[in-house]
Amino acid sequence: MADELTAVVVDDHPAVRAGVAYWLSSGVPPVRVVAEGEDVRVAWLDEGADADVVILDLHLAGPTPVLGDLRRLVEAGRRVVVYSMRADDEIALQCLELGALCYLTKAEGAEHLVPATRAAAAGRPYTPPSLAGALAGDPSETRPALSAREAEVLVEWFQSESKDFVARRLGISVSTVNSHLERIRIKYALIGREAPTKAALVARAIQDGLIGVDDL
Amino acid sequence: MTAGEQVFASIRLALLGVVAVLQLGLSLPPLLAHDHGPGAWVAFGLLALVTLVSAGWIARRRPLPTAVVAGGAAVVLGASVVATAALPADAHFGAAHWSFGLVGWHLLVLLADRVPALLAAFGAHLVAEITQFVLAGSPDRTEVGAAGVVVLGVTSFQLGVLLLARVLLRNARQAAEVAVQEERAATRAALAEQWARDLRAGFAGGLGTTLPLLADLADGVLDPRAEDTRRRCAFAATQLRRLFAEHDEVPDPLVHEVAACVDVAERRGLAVSLAVSGAVVPVPTDVRRELTGPVAAALSAARGRARVSLLRADGEVRLAVIADAGPVVDAVSGRVDVRCEAYGGQTRTEARWRTS
Repeated sequence: MADELTAVVVDDHPAVRAGVAYWLSSGVPPVRVVAEGEDVRVAWLDEGADADVVILDLHLAGPTPVLGDLRRLVEAGRRVVVYSMRADDEIALQCLELGALCYLTKAEGAEHLVPATRAAAAGRPYTPPSLAGALAGDPSETRPALSAREAEVLVEWFQSESKDFVARRLGISVSTVNSHLERIRIKYALIGREAPTKAALVARAIQDGLIGVDDL
Repeated sequence: MTAGEQVFASIRLALLGVVAVLQLGLSLPPLLAHDHGPGAWVAFGLLALVTLVSAGWIARRRPLPTAVVAGGAAVVLGASVVATAALPADAHFGAAHWSFGLVGWHLLVLLADRVPALLAAFGAHLVAEITQFVLAGSPDRTEVGAAGVVVLGVTSFQLGVLLLARVLLRNARQAAEVAVQEERAATRAALAEQWARDLRAGFAGGLGTTLPLLADLADGVLDPRAEDTRRRCAFAATQLRRLFAEHDEVPDPLVHEVAACVDVAERRGLAVSLAVSGAVVPVPTDVRRELTGPVAAALSAARGRARVSLLRADGEVRLAVIADAGPVVDAVSGRVDVRCEAYGGQTRTEARWRTS
């Protein structure tokens, strides 16, 4: 099947790789894991090199996060979902800055990993609650200016983990919640270093009419 | 000025008074009554001058400068030699010898705080007087005996006064030290008492709802199977657990206390997810108590799932609980702004505190 979504999983724990492969394959439509391994090389070789999405653990055997590998993957135009056990905001923001489409903590399971992978395959960002918290608490001076409603959506999403709840509380629809979250990510894509994924994200947003060319 | 210095200043002032009285009351009459050489009046004037100059410092209860002390002592000893040289014949250590005792008192005033120097000056004074006494003519045995009695009497009296002053000074210093120690101990005791009182008050505050609950359970007033009783028990348990966590030494006390509340809820079988975002900010203990109070209440009311989130951003600490069902808890807002609303089957409780 040509339009079947594929992914490569890079994680140093076999159990995590197996679990992720199972979650992705049992979604509807399923995402097929074509390669997996404990080394980032699997994402560059054979079938792994053609996979739509790279699911990358930041801590592979070594003590330092593999931010360099993330940067190389993104520069090659790969769509990366970072799946890390670390929940600190700084590293999450750093991964977004490098061009990762999503930063997920391992405390967040299938209900976020599957949609994040699917969104990444389509070149779209996905913002799970922990990442929303990191964005809401972003202390950096370069942080983009968010509208009051956007900031509200971020905080509510972080607090409730439920888009239904956010929508009901703010009196908006779930799709509006999603477009707010996406617009926030576009704003972040427009700052800092350039990356193919970020450019694609912005282009996509203009195509969808989410932002106008004037907003750039 | 320490207590010792104050006592010494008073002693010196008293000695100065003694010198003034002696010079006018006991030394002036023999000077007038006997036929002295012209040097006697010069010596008298010099001694009076030393008294006046040193009075400038002593009356203001200031320590004498070293130069004044040294100069004064030299002038006094010199005046003593001059006065003794001006004595009429055979008057040494007799009724006409007005300067002998007076000079000792002068030295005592000047050097009372420099004991070795004082003893040396006394020695020099005695040696000079005795030398002049011997050189004035060969004294017979009776005269030597009489002189010895006078020298011994006067010198031992002056040394006695010196000893008394030193003892007085030492006692004053010891008393001051004891007073300081006592004061320190009293402060420590007061602090410890205050700390214990605060601790008791803190625990009493936490136990406020627990004790009546336990009493009612024991008396059979409350039914342990009732939903409300169980919620109250869960709340009391959460409060106690939070109270124990309150005094722990940890880098992030607020997260520590929230985690303690979550821990109790998880033991009850609740599925709780806890998320923290933002850097650590210092939060005073009582504000922490106000922030975590609503969380404890909301968690004890939850039935199956809850999401606890702590967000520290933009000068604000926001602690929120979103739980399934459970009644809306009483929101009492003080420094901490507490909101509680129900949406469908879910209750949202949020406590916000502005850091600035």
